[in-house]
Amino acid sequence: MSTHGVTLPVGSPARAPSLAAASFRIFDLSLGEMLWSRRSVFLGLVVGAPVIIAVIFRTVELFNLPAFRLNGVRVGGNVIFGGMIWLLYLNIIVPLLGVFYGTSLMADEVEDRTLTYLFTRPIPRGAVLIGKYLAYLACTGLILLPSVMLVFFLAAPLGGGGLPAIARGFPDLLKDLGLLGLGLAVYGSVFAFIGAQLKRPLLIGLFFMVFWEVFVFLLPGYLKRFTVAYYLQALVPHAMPQDGVVSAVQSFFKETTSPVTSVAVLAVILFVFLSLAARAVDRREYVLEQ
Amino acid sequence: MTPRTRYFLFGSVAFLLVGLCTGVVAFYSGLPMGAFGQQNAPTELSYVPAEAAVVAYCNVQDVMRSQLRHKLQQNMPNREEGQREFEQQTGLNIERDIDRVVGFLVPTGTSEAYRGMVLASGRFDVVRLEGLAREHGGQVTDYKGRRMITRVMDGENEGPHKSMTVAFLKPGLVAVGDTESVKRGIDGVGGANITTNKDLMNLVHDIEDSNAWAVGRFDALIKHANLREGVVSQIPAVKWFSASGHVNGGLSGVLRAETRDEQAGQNLRDVVQGFLALGRMQAGNRPEMQALVSSLQVSGTGSTVSLSFTLPAEAIEAIGAAAGAMHNGHGQHERGKTDAQ
Repeated sequence: MSTHGVTLPVGSPARAPSLAAASFRIFDLSLGEMLWSRRSVFLGLVVGAPVIIAVIFRTVELFNLPAFRLNGVRVGGNVIFGGMIWLLYLNIIVPLLGVFYGTSLMADEVEDRTLTYLFTRPIPRGAVLIGKYLAYLACTGLILLPSVMLVFFLAAPLGGGGLPAIARGFPDLLKDLGLLGLGLAVYGSVFAFIGAQLKRPLLIGLFFMVFWEVFVFLLPGYLKRFTVAYYLQALVPHAMPQDGVVSAVQSFFKETTSPVTSVAVLAVILFVFLSLAARAVDRREYVLEQ
Repeated sequence: MTPRTRYFLFGSVAFLLVGLCTGVVAFYSGLPMGAFGQQNAPTELSYVPAEAAVVAYCNVQDVMRSQLRHKLQQNMPNREEGQREFEQQTGLNIERDIDRVVGFLVPTGTSEAYRGMVLASGRFDVVRLEGLAREHGGQVTDYKGRRMITRVMDGENEGPHKSMTVAFLKPGLVAVGDTESVKRGIDGVGGANITTNKDLMNLVHDIEDSNAWAVGRFDALIKHANLREGVVSQIPAVKWFSASGHVNGGLSGVLRAETRDEQAGQNLRDVVQGFLALGRMQAGNRPEMQALVSSLQVSGTGSTVSLSFTLPAEAIEAIGAAAGAMHNGHGQHERGKTDAQ
């Protein structure tokens, strides 16, 4: 049987694609939408800030102005880069991207009232979320990681370290790229669940990020073990300068688990929350407001 | 997927790959003294053997022209007589003719704990120096195309006699040291010399804004210091150390230690912090000491411990004045003794 040039199998209905194939189709569809959306402007601004800071550091050094110093001691480029990774990327940028993109995976479709078009396709509902989640990972990862690379090549040679400093800092860069990728994946899955399960997910996500991931993490006691940040901080390869305020701040984060435990726990969080999110999409009845 | 999305993906992945490849090349080549390497290490290091325990450098011109030296000179004016005598004999004016000096010590593993060499860059009257060496019993030889003047020292016992050598390595570069060290230095050029020692060269590259520095293997120094076992066990687990200073109106410097592990680094930082606190208490009501003690700052990450200090011009003047007073007092005492006789 042929309709408008499309050949359909005779005698049996079209077979629904598998979860993986359906997820890839959604990924293919969503990546372009996600990449060229207004949200990407926000992503560019957030990711561009550390690059601008690194350029400022380089410019200051080019003009032979005093380099970055801590109590009169010149701080090496790799320490500056480590500080930027720890302070800007891991504590601010990655959770922020997780909140804004993760919570909007399903919410955007609901808001735009286009969810019906996806749900009426012969694909598992969970594939919609997984495909969009993969698109989020590709979109944020392919903008965030090159920015980290650029910051590394700008910041590592600071303080007169030159290219030998790049050679010394390269193993840490690889760990940082892996760590940030893992952070995006874990935060994305947590916020994807919030976005799929709850109403007003952005507000709840921001509250979770500020109250739970920051405030609870700083509290003494065992509660911090229930935050994602606790396990991500344990994987940070850089040691901060041991001095004054910086060491006081870092002392909050000293109690950490082993890297193996941290990776295992983060993998469990990722898997559990992504499964819960897919299950929520599968079971939840979305009511599109007229 | 639209073409522009595809282009973006390829562009982003390509950028990441280029960065990673650059990093891999930098990591495996090490880049210690290569074409892209930093040039803050003196070229004389190619004459320093790879197993040197300590390497030191001084930019003589910077130090001689510094305000600090002029201030100290004003307080101790009689010290120039020795320099004049040296200049008459050798034709060398240290202030004018020597640009920089590099020295090193190599552990020997024998009763004579170290041997070493000093490399001086500058402008030398080679004929005059050679004549002077010959006058003092020096023998002129050639070693791998370098002119060497060697003098065998009189030994006190039956063992091998020590010999000192002055070698003219290239125009404007003279080496002085024991003959074995000078020959090893010449052998090492282009081969196994200290510039192939990545750990030590990293320390050298990290030194900034300094006109004098020394770097070395702390464990090697301790090993050859003939210390008692009880004392050795009390010494912090330091592998490498560096001391760098900048001399001008004042004196600023950084002492840096690389410990065996991060725990040792943290312990050493705590110990130094403790001593600093004690120092601040002891400085009490002595303003010149307070300025020094308050300038001491401990910093560092992981296994690195750094102690920086700044000795302001006023403190140096006070110390110089005190040294001058001591010197004058000693002179008066000597004159008094002579008069009494």
